[in-house]
Amino acid sequence: MSIEIENIAKQFGTFTALGDVTLSIPSGELVALLGPSGSGKTTLLRIIAGLETPDSGRILFNGTDTTQSHVRDRKVGFVFQHYALFKHMTVFDNVAFGLNVRPKETRPTKEEIRERVSKLLRLVQLEGMAGRYPAQLSGGQRQRIALARALAVEPQVLLLDEPFGALDAQVRAELRRWLRKLHDEIHVTSVFVTHDQDEALEVADRIVVMNRGKIEQSGTPDEVYEHPANPFVLNFLGNVNLFHGRLQQTGEQPGAGENAVSYVRSHDIEIDRSPQDSTALCAEVRHIQKLGPAVRVTLAIAGSPELVEAELTRDVFQNLGLQQGESVFVRPRQVRVFVEDYQI
Amino acid sequence: MKFFKRHNNVLPGFGVTLGFTIFYLSIIVLIPLSALVFRTAGLTWGEFVTTVTAPRVLASYKITFGAALAAAVINSIFGVLVAWVLVRYRFPGRRIVDALIDLPFALPTAVAGITLATIYSPNGWVGRFLEPHGIKVAFTPLGIVLAMTFIGLPFVVRTVQPVVEEIETELEEAATCLGATRWQTLVRVIFPLLTPSILTGFALSFARGVGEYGSIIFIAGNMPMVSEITPLLIITKLEQFDYRGATAIACVMLLTSFTLLLVINLLQKWSRRYAE
Repeated sequence: MSIEIENIAKQFGTFTALGDVTLSIPSGELVALLGPSGSGKTTLLRIIAGLETPDSGRILFNGTDTTQSHVRDRKVGFVFQHYALFKHMTVFDNVAFGLNVRPKETRPTKEEIRERVSKLLRLVQLEGMAGRYPAQLSGGQRQRIALARALAVEPQVLLLDEPFGALDAQVRAELRRWLRKLHDEIHVTSVFVTHDQDEALEVADRIVVMNRGKIEQSGTPDEVYEHPANPFVLNFLGNVNLFHGRLQQTGEQPGAGENAVSYVRSHDIEIDRSPQDSTALCAEVRHIQKLGPAVRVTLAIAGSPELVEAELTRDVFQNLGLQQGESVFVRPRQVRVFVEDYQI
Repeated sequence: MKFFKRHNNVLPGFGVTLGFTIFYLSIIVLIPLSALVFRTAGLTWGEFVTTVTAPRVLASYKITFGAALAAAVINSIFGVLVAWVLVRYRFPGRRIVDALIDLPFALPTAVAGITLATIYSPNGWVGRFLEPHGIKVAFTPLGIVLAMTFIGLPFVVRTVQPVVEEIETELEEAATCLGATRWQTLVRVIFPLLTPSILTGFALSFARGVGEYGSIIFIAGNMPMVSEITPLLIITKLEQFDYRGATAIACVMLLTSFTLLLVINLLQKWSRRYAE
């Protein structure tokens, strides 16, 4: 099931949640809507689901306009951040809900429902939990039940609103790997909203980076990470250092001579005892912070008020034997320069 | 010997609060109620049975408990509706409506009774329109139900309101996404969540109705065997200096009310079985 989003706009009072968003989601893909809070990603998801009506624009499912059709008829599975499980029903009844509310003619028999529910519970690896109430489950288990419930109606599209947002770090990492695996098995077109770049990079086939009600960039995780379209995308996907400067005249390059900002990701900064080439800058180690497998080193570039953060692996850090206060040379491995609209 | 094992709890207070609770309940509830039972004990068993099963007394139980049940049912239905509207919708005058709900709490019951009787009497504002259709409210059992409904309404609204406030719209959205119609969402999702609070409101409204005296005697007409409530019968006995008879009837009322409230509480516990 492909989804076409055409010129969707939505206004809440004076706040523009979405301004003319157009996006096409191919069938069977797992797409992440990534952006900071207030970027309109949840609103877009809710408009796709039909829980919100757009001020203008159209939503097409498989080429058919569904903008006017009711949520009930759209056949979307929606997973909420806070699970929205029916707490007065057992896990079984929660998953079976979508089947039980069908009109008599299309409702499966009790036996079929039982079979379908146990199949889904196996899929989400919670077979033994059918008789429990949601209050007796952990957060991760609840979210998997919510997913099973959404899948029970065999939706054409699966929409997930910050599905792992309310979970702790470990369960979160586990569950997103599991979601990726699940999607590889069932291949239902899925869109999930997240503000966590790691989550998007790890899980999604395609990432749509959103900011202030607009799409900044849309592409595969590699594309948006390796070739960010603008400083916002670069900034949002990982830690970056900013170097302010002026482009030197090199002939055919556009924008030469203009003020420009160059961006270097913190793990693209090399630290050496001796200058490797002309691009190396002298710097002083200000602060060392160990972050599990990585070490973050804060450096002050000589003759510049700016501080630079470099991220090293533990090995590299130990080989260098860096000490606070000593002078070293830093060299950016990869630099991105943005001059207004130009990218070099 | 200690009755309760001492728990090393960081948050102390069990002993003190339980002690105070028992002391307080004794003074306020248990001692007066046991005095009632002691008074009744002056009667022999035979006298007691004759007193509490006299036809006029039996008729009064029927009308009192029957009307209180009817009023509690009416209040449960419309109270939930009122609570829902007050929580879910924003309309001009909402605050005033909200405040109006509590008025039956504050109004002297006699005033309520007289007002209702005046309005619903055959030539009253509302009564004159009902009269031609053969509906008599004032001075009939219907009037008793009306008065009990009036005084019991706040209980249901005030117990259900906070629960409606807590229901996340996400639950309804989830149900809709799964294909449930509005009616199915209401019956299968929202109503079960409200049930415990509706039962509490029902019990409170019922208890209030059973014990109500002031407003009813003005509207009921107080015809023996037809519209005479038990509390009135007790007063009548007191006026005749038949204290034992009065307390005997009171004891029966008390026991019946307590049993019914206990049943409702158990029902309520059952309706929230998922929370454990």
